[in-house]
Amino acid sequence: MAWRNLWRNRRRTLITVASVFFAVFFALVMRSLQLGAYDHMFRNIIESYTGYLQIQHEDFWDTRSIDNLIENSPELEKLILKNENADLLIPRIESFALASSGEVSKGVLVMGVDPEREKYLSNIGSRLIKYYITEESIELIRNSGAPEDVAKRISELKGNAYPSNSSLELDLGIRAGDSASLMPLIRSNTNFRNGYIKSGESSVLTGKALAEYLKLSVGDTIVLIGQGYRGASAAGKYRVAGIVKLPSPDLDNKIVYLPLDVCQELYDAPGMVTSLAVSVKDNGDRAVDAMTGLIGKELSPPLKAMDWRQMNELLINQMEGDNKSGMVMIAILYLVIAFGIFGTVLMMTAERRREFGVLVAVGMQKTKLARVVVFEMLYIGFMGILSGTLAAMPVIIYGYLHPIRFTGEMGKMYEDYGLEPVMPFLPADWYIVWQMVVVAVIVLIALIYPVRKIMRTDVVKSLKA
Amino acid sequence: MKILELKDVHKIYNSSEIKVHAVDGVTLSFNEGEFAAIVGPSGSGKTTLLNLIGGLDMPSSGEIIIDGTNLATLKSSQLIDFRMRNIGFVFQAYNLIPVLTAKENVEFIMTLQKWSREERDKRTFELLKAVGLGDRASSRPSKLSGGQQQRVAVARALASRPKFVLADEPTANLDSRSAATLLEIMEKLNHEEKITFIFSTHDPRVMKMAHRVITLEDGQVVSDDVKEA
Repeated sequence: MAWRNLWRNRRRTLITVASVFFAVFFALVMRSLQLGAYDHMFRNIIESYTGYLQIQHEDFWDTRSIDNLIENSPELEKLILKNENADLLIPRIESFALASSGEVSKGVLVMGVDPEREKYLSNIGSRLIKYYITEESIELIRNSGAPEDVAKRISELKGNAYPSNSSLELDLGIRAGDSASLMPLIRSNTNFRNGYIKSGESSVLTGKALAEYLKLSVGDTIVLIGQGYRGASAAGKYRVAGIVKLPSPDLDNKIVYLPLDVCQELYDAPGMVTSLAVSVKDNGDRAVDAMTGLIGKELSPPLKAMDWRQMNELLINQMEGDNKSGMVMIAILYLVIAFGIFGTVLMMTAERRREFGVLVAVGMQKTKLARVVVFEMLYIGFMGILSGTLAAMPVIIYGYLHPIRFTGEMGKMYEDYGLEPVMPFLPADWYIVWQMVVVAVIVLIALIYPVRKIMRTDVVKSLKA
Repeated sequence: MKILELKDVHKIYNSSEIKVHAVDGVTLSFNEGEFAAIVGPSGSGKTTLLNLIGGLDMPSSGEIIIDGTNLATLKSSQLIDFRMRNIGFVFQAYNLIPVLTAKENVEFIMTLQKWSREERDKRTFELLKAVGLGDRASSRPSKLSGGQQQRVAVARALASRPKFVLADEPTANLDSRSAATLLEIMEKLNHEEKITFIFSTHDPRVMKMAHRVITLEDGQVVSDDVKEA
């Protein structure tokens, strides 16, 4: 009976189902995109800089002082790697120094890294500049018969450097069809000879912007002066082995990477580190949280386990703010459909008042009648939720497998912020169930009205309606 | 055998400052198998009296006793259940359930009473045949004429073999031919099923066919005439 009642006003039922459908569809797609973007952004930052977990001196994160070091001992390494989710320890020293080259000086961030192990976390090797657009390379490309628009675009990009072919191609805006014919020519003329640091070698990698400021090229010398461990003076002269292009302009303008042992020597802190980043086998939230808890219990002061949330507090707060605005948008969407559903319920109740009266008069219990009406609305809600979810799933799966890739200005903006210019969808997760639950709750709330009306039906008045 | 008794029944409506005595001290009784009409001018209290008899409304004072049960002693849900088991209703505007077929409308109360499918089918077929709609069992009300809808309503009212059927102006919306057919059917069923019929009506044809005519004026019974068989 409930099912048949739905189709007595086919158009109204279909409009209500459609409103639920669109709300569920857009809510799921929007939520998947938003959560997918956060997930991707966090993974980018965590996997390229902080790691999921770091072991530090308990005061280091707040003070960033070279005096708050910890000993990178085999016992500590053994203790941490005892955890089955810990894969590898990546030691680092992070401090500040004054860098000079010729007559130019600048305060810089010094990062002492294990050149081999760092590949498993930030992989700075992948940031080494491969292609550099100089005055000379522009001239060579122009003279080798490149199309005018390509030559013009390359001129506009003078001074830009790229760590990969894809980022160069993205910036040049070369169409997929022209890539095979043009890119070899561009690559060969913009090729930049670069090197990497090695343990025991007094060499450094610098950010491109810093190298430009200090007028450094590969093979030049940089001098670092600062304060070492426990008041020692830190000073050293190093060869520039390579130049990296970091997505964060701020970092690019101040970073100097040194091999860990060389950095320890600079700061007079042999065997000491500011942090031990833990590379994990399972990066799921539960596994990381469990690992943080277990390792945290094993450590004794001044050692402290810092998880990715503590180290990215600011970013998390920003994301939460953004997340809330997304939720407000979805709430507005739901409010609109709530009114749609309530409108249907109101009309349905008003136009069937006499029928309700007749049914109660002939002997149908009010609770049973209310149940029929509840089923009618649940059918509408169920049809809308099911169809909306079924329609959203292929979009979400496609978006997960083929993330939206930003190009042009938008893509550049993402890269400038240190983020990969892609926006993947988050695959099916609890958020899907939550959207369904929210719509179901809206339907149930809307049902309060007809149920109350039925339970308070005055048969005589209803029969006159 | 007495199946319905009204003892000094009053119904007073309080609208702001004016008290309206819709039913004013009615005392009546009905026996099994009666075919009675309640007549009177508009506003005389016919519909109110039927509503009180049917347990759709409660009297301001007095007692209504159906087959030994005083309606005032029943709770709301018990009263609904009591109506389902003991009283059939025929409304002026037919009031069939639009999404159900003629057959489903007739068997609706039997379904509520949890009759078995075989019993329901047998009774429904029997009643639809009796009201001349055996061939329209699968038609929805919208596909039936007014007269046909009212005949389905009569079949529905009789379906679960109630103690009596209350019909509020059953012929008011029908043309003369349909009204005559309906009355013949009701009289036949009254005779065959021994079910009491109580009508409210203005229709002289109904009054003519009724075995007992109760006349109301200003909520009071002014005459109660039983015709000789």
